[in-house]
Amino acid sequence: MGTSVQVTPLSGAHSEAPLCYLLQVDGFRFLLDCGWTDSFDLALLEPLKGVAPTIDAVLLSYPDTMHLGAYTYAFAKLGLQATMYCTLPVHHMGQMYMYDHVLSRKAVSNFDLFTLDDVDTAFANSIQLKYQQHYQLAGKGEGMTITPYAAGHLLGGTIWKITKDTEEIIYAVDFNHRKERHLNKTVLENFVRPAVLITDAYNALNNQPQRKQRDQEFIDMILKVLRADGNVLLPVETAGRVLELILHLESNWAHQRLSYPVALLTNVSYSTVEFAKSLLEWMSDTIARSFGSSRENSFLLKYLKLCHDRKEFDELPSGPKVVFASMASLESGFARELFVEWATDSRNLVLFTERGQMGTLAKKLQAEPPPKIVKVTMSQKIPLTGEELQAYEEEQRLKIAAEQEVIPMEEDGHSSPKVKAVTGPLPLSVAEPGGGAPMNVEGLLATSEAPLHRQILIDGFTASDKTAAPMFPLYENPSDWDEYGEVINPDDYVVKEQELMDYQSSQPAPPAADGEENTDPEAEAILADRPSKVVVKDYTVQVKCALYYMDFEGRSDGRSIKNILAHVAPIKLVLVHGSAEATEHLRQHCVKNVCRDVYAPRIGETQDVTSDLCAYKVRLTERLMSSVLFRKLGDYEVAWVDGVIGSQEGSQESEGMLPLLPSETPPPHKSVFVGDLRLADFKQLLATKGIQAEFAGGVLRCGDAFAVRKSGGSQQLVIEGPLSEEYYKLRDLLYSQFYML
Amino acid sequence: MTHATKAIYKLLLSDFVKISKVSVDDMLYDEHDIARTMEKIEVIDFHQTMEVNGIRFWCYTAGHVLGAAMFMVDIAGMRVLYTGDYSCEEDRHLRAAEMPHFSPDVCIIESTYGVQIHQPRIMRERRFTDTVAQTVSQGGKVLIPAFALGRAQELLLILDEYWGAHPELQHIPIYYASPLAKKCMAVYQTYINAMNERIQKQFEVSNPFDFKHIQPLKNIDEFDDIGPAVVMASPGGLQSGLSRQLFDIWCQDKKNSCVIPGYVVEGTLAKAIMNEPKEVTLLSGLVVPLNMRVHYISFSAHADFTQTSAFLHELRPPNIILVHGEANEMGRLKAKLITQFADQNVKVLSPKNCQTVEMFFKGEKIAKAVGRLAEKPAKEGDVVSGLLVRKGFTYQLMAPDDLHSFTQLSTGSVMQRQSVPYKGTFTVLRHRLQQMYEQVEAVAKADSPTLKVHGNLMVSHEGADYVILQWVSDPISDMVADSVVAMILKLDLQSMFGGGERVKDARLEKDEIRIVHSLLVSLFGDVTLDEEIQTLTVNVDETVAIVDHAKKGIECKDENLKERIKVALRRIQTALYPLDA
Repeated sequence: MGTSVQVTPLSGAHSEAPLCYLLQVDGFRFLLDCGWTDSFDLALLEPLKGVAPTIDAVLLSYPDTMHLGAYTYAFAKLGLQATMYCTLPVHHMGQMYMYDHVLSRKAVSNFDLFTLDDVDTAFANSIQLKYQQHYQLAGKGEGMTITPYAAGHLLGGTIWKITKDTEEIIYAVDFNHRKERHLNKTVLENFVRPAVLITDAYNALNNQPQRKQRDQEFIDMILKVLRADGNVLLPVETAGRVLELILHLESNWAHQRLSYPVALLTNVSYSTVEFAKSLLEWMSDTIARSFGSSRENSFLLKYLKLCHDRKEFDELPSGPKVVFASMASLESGFARELFVEWATDSRNLVLFTERGQMGTLAKKLQAEPPPKIVKVTMSQKIPLTGEELQAYEEEQRLKIAAEQEVIPMEEDGHSSPKVKAVTGPLPLSVAEPGGGAPMNVEGLLATSEAPLHRQILIDGFTASDKTAAPMFPLYENPSDWDEYGEVINPDDYVVKEQELMDYQSSQPAPPAADGEENTDPEAEAILADRPSKVVVKDYTVQVKCALYYMDFEGRSDGRSIKNILAHVAPIKLVLVHGSAEATEHLRQHCVKNVCRDVYAPRIGETQDVTSDLCAYKVRLTERLMSSVLFRKLGDYEVAWVDGVIGSQEGSQESEGMLPLLPSETPPPHKSVFVGDLRLADFKQLLATKGIQAEFAGGVLRCGDAFAVRKSGGSQQLVIEGPLSEEYYKLRDLLYSQFYML
Repeated sequence: MTHATKAIYKLLLSDFVKISKVSVDDMLYDEHDIARTMEKIEVIDFHQTMEVNGIRFWCYTAGHVLGAAMFMVDIAGMRVLYTGDYSCEEDRHLRAAEMPHFSPDVCIIESTYGVQIHQPRIMRERRFTDTVAQTVSQGGKVLIPAFALGRAQELLLILDEYWGAHPELQHIPIYYASPLAKKCMAVYQTYINAMNERIQKQFEVSNPFDFKHIQPLKNIDEFDDIGPAVVMASPGGLQSGLSRQLFDIWCQDKKNSCVIPGYVVEGTLAKAIMNEPKEVTLLSGLVVPLNMRVHYISFSAHADFTQTSAFLHELRPPNIILVHGEANEMGRLKAKLITQFADQNVKVLSPKNCQTVEMFFKGEKIAKAVGRLAEKPAKEGDVVSGLLVRKGFTYQLMAPDDLHSFTQLSTGSVMQRQSVPYKGTFTVLRHRLQQMYEQVEAVAKADSPTLKVHGNLMVSHEGADYVILQWVSDPISDMVADSVVAMILKLDLQSMFGGGERVKDARLEKDEIRIVHSLLVSLFGDVTLDEEIQTLTVNVDETVAIVDHAKKGIECKDENLKERIKVALRRIQTALYPLDA
């Protein structure tokens, strides 16, 4: 009867490793998030490797690396085929994250795990949903509905609800219960008693200071450094929490009329802000309202300069400045470069706004006490010159020559279809030797060192179409005839839309081409793959600058997590993602206060959370309902029914659904008191009725001799007192707070 | 409404307020009212499901204008689709109306264009661009009177792209002249996600609403009227404002053109010039010849008959309600739809304004039995008793103990502990209880003797002068407890006055003699009461009997009468104290 549900963590269980979980619902395999670290450690993906091809659907909850970093790689290299579901902002911003990763890696090394094209293909294979859109899966997942809900934390952040028949499974990690500048708070609290809740223990041991106080401290600290002529470096994630920080800084800069330059230095800063501007629907009510009333887009930034490379950044006015730079882990990107440059000056400040990922430079710097000296390996990509370049070109020539030899041989020996098969993949194989696949073939051809060779080569083979038919081609014209003559196809005579749209069809292409140049000029440079080599240097950096960490992660803190869990009160709870201590702490808390079934499976361990609940459906007949009297209780209406299950006959429509008829001889039943009375509320009620009542040691003393109390732990109320008229009055009042059924 | 609709709503209404401030004295509403409505507006994104009082609704893209939505309302499984204004044709920036995945029970659909059929979009665009290109290349000026928002953006996109594709035209300026221009563009630049794939693709590169060849124009003073130009100006009806000012200047030159891009209201100048009159009256009152060429190319995005028919054919709603359309046109559409769906048992209605359409649907109510109640699969003849919980339109059937697990409600219970004064011995109490009730069991309890009555009520003798009654409330137990209390009270009183001694109610005692008196009066007629010495004197046919009430003695010479009074007194006694018998 029930639906079988299993959870298997693939990464991020009893540790702060990236999130990646396998959820099986009646054999349908969901991959919940697909995270990776900034260091792209392949070892982390081992558990995913075997599972990837069997996945049926991927649900991503946040656009950051910890939640979707490995998705592209899994899609390109591990055989992950399933459709990915995410919200629109996760889709856009997630791409930004991945672009930024690829671009910043490519700038300094021969990064070859995945390419920008892989990112595009992977993200193209997705379905974007809106919050509260009930999406019904088809095919293997027939009967299942997935619904994203607002989670806070990051733009587009999602709590996933998976519904099958009567089961509700909720996957909610990293949610934020507080409303922020750019995001609304999570709606997790609206769920009541789901069958399974999968949540994280990442912040179970954390407590946060007051937001106002923290915000003020943040600005004060930055200003102090700026006024002392220092620079402030904020290592941030590409398109995540940085949006919140930008708004915060912008409002303060505007308010205090500051003129220190503020820069956002990532490879995709322009696109990030541009996307943010168009995603107002997904942001907080405040932002929507300000746009609604004054038509002011909060992300029309007045102070922030968007920089895509060091050149643009260096053009900023000199003097103290604030820089948001990616990556937050300081493992790569501009943040790492700037850190190496700025760390040696004691006037500067590196302000972390989120905890560093395990084993990264950021984590090392956040340690207590901060290290005095860190070793940093910097790599650089420099174009080949002189002899090296010659050697490289020689090598290329040889390779191409070798390929050329192979192809004519095949051409001679085989019939034409085979030749076509060879020519197909050719352009790509030529493109490859540049080292790392380029973004597109045209780009390569346009800018590479030896375009002529390749152009000719490809021309040669495109022309080989002529050789498709070894003899003069004769095409038979198979025309059908019927009694009216030749059968004509009316489509041949329709005025083609194409012809009408002549100017349009030519139109969309040029902007696309421009655009690529506009948005990613540095990409062009990097991806053109001029022959280059990677030089790796080790630096020892004296950390003289101030280091500071402030919690701007936008996650719920330990106490709120516990409150929310107690409120949601799932029937089964699965804890993932969080250090071993945090997980254990939260587990114990939940066993005591939330529910009995709390699980914290380890990596690779499959935890069965199939609910032992039984359920079936019956059709409520008119006859039954006419005699039922509902009583309203908050959102609910409750009634007692005595019914008999009738026969299937006469109800062909609702297959398998038995009707419920009124019972002729209702069996007696114990009366039920429905309602939950809080003694404090009862005290108020008594006060309005003119009865003195006060609390003494958990007992509500009413009048002179009466007491109302809750008996130990249970929901049972006890009313005590001597026989008297007042006793009955009190009892009547107490009864009035319940529904007796 | 959707996010974009809300933004546009604010713009439009504020603009209306600004205009009416100048001309009209009795304003319908002001900025303050608008601000108040803004607070009331709940926004909904496409496909997002909302629930209000158990009624669920969500919306689909409707085409037509930015933010336009078709609403699907689901009331306990009965579904109504309201299309509003919709268009099934994808244009330059909007998606075509979406086809819901399932058929609604009722479809409320617009019938603006009735049975008319539009020219294909491509043809219209071609006519439009050709007209514009021809005019400007002959050195003329093109005036496009259009409403600032909605179709204007579509036309601007067409022009911008056309200019982009024709470098030879790029020296000719295009102006978008409206006081709202900038704000409108801000809205369009923001809600990219409500538009079609094409725009979103372009957006990944650059915002298509950052026009390259079009400049905004706030008022006519900024406009430098030299050489050919294309101006899109509001209002669309040429009543006043920028479009009218330009019209007045340009209408006499036959090189110039005026393109009316959509529906215009009766009675406006725009409507009038569509019939190409010989002369027109300017704002200044002058009558001048109309030499300017006038073209009507409709870009209004309402569904035509082809679209409506195809939409309904695919949707297959059993009930169709036609709204929004001129009566004759609607009648023709209705007739045509009835023929189209003749064999499918489809009802087509076209109610007049304020006419209520009533339809009845038999909702199937399905309850889900959960928890302990559903441990065994249901089969015919099983008795199912439990709580039926309704939330919105969903029903759940469960055992009372499961209420807490499946809902936010909880079941409670009330334990009562009542102390009742009792000075007698417990054995007596036990004896009397055993006489009165079927189930009385002794409970072995360390500190005090305890009895269990009727399976629920515990009676224990805890102190010397009281017993404690303890029970869990429910109507039956409460009743049992009340009767036990009554019995204990009586026992207690009896024990106070010793054994079988009649226990007198104080009040009754005081009145007793009077009651006896009045009863005797009704029996014997002449009875006098002397309250002082507590005697009653009965006088029957001169025979006198004196009844001493306190001592119960009767003094009478006549034995017969004495006997009669004795019987009477005994009966009065039983009437007064029936339980003593």
